[in-house]
Amino acid sequence: MTGMDAILHGGLQGYLVVALLLFGLGLATVLLRRTLLLQFMGVELMLNAANVALLAFARFHGGDAQAMVFYLFIIAVAACEAAIGLALVIGLYRHRDTTDSDRATSLKQ
Amino acid sequence: MFITFALITLLGALGMLLQKNVVVAGLCMVAAFFGVAGLFVLLANPVAAALQIIVYTGAIMVLVLFVIMMLNSHEEEKAQVSHPVQRWLSVTLIAALAFGAVKLVLGSKGLTALAVTGAEMPQAMTLQKIGTTLFADHLLGFEVAGLVLLAAMIGAVALTKRNL
Repeated sequence: MTGMDAILHGGLQGYLVVALLLFGLGLATVLLRRTLLLQFMGVELMLNAANVALLAFARFHGGDAQAMVFYLFIIAVAACEAAIGLALVIGLYRHRDTTDSDRATSLKQ
Repeated sequence: MFITFALITLLGALGMLLQKNVVVAGLCMVAAFFGVAGLFVLLANPVAAALQIIVYTGAIMVLVLFVIMMLNSHEEEKAQVSHPVQRWLSVTLIAALAFGAVKLVLGSKGLTALAVTGAEMPQAMTLQKIGTTLFADHLLGFEVAGLVLLAAMIGAVALTKRNL
């Protein structure tokens, strides 16, 4: 199974291409959108792309359980990031009354 | 099946990128997460699929949607200054990066060999296997993850509370 066939029927390359495109879309969201909450969602999307690639490699490695452990750690870090990131967005909104990252270019008032 | 879930994932992500309304963008993101969960099922990993739905759509996205509604910022604010050069530059760079990486993946001999050697479906991942690996080989990492989660919880409370 090579090339287009792998993409259409779920070979290893197909999963990796999906992961790469997902990462690209997440990166585009972070770079092109100005709302901090959307940029945050873009970061989550990039983390998910890494998960897809990791678990695809694990499946083609004979169903390795080590990958699941790393997946759990990635999820734990993503949850921490969600809590802290959203708390920071709320703090910014209280001080500046905005969630636009362009309007918060300096940390001082 | 693979192409269906891949399309759900990528279209959800694309919808998030293009959507003007932040709440609708969040719901597109939920669709993308469901697509990723479907991909995990196809990878013989139902545990990861369940965790994906419980943690990402159930916890993280609900938290994000709560914050969007609490801050009442459904629409993106008007840009103060437009940066057309930077925007086009980033679009070009991301397109070049994605194109190059996809070309690299499709042309790689090592990946083709790995796809051939691992072609037969492994046994579905079970919680028992994960638990054994987690507590036998990665006990320290597990404890550190718990500590990091606790620190994040305290940090979130300290950051959001008006006066401690």
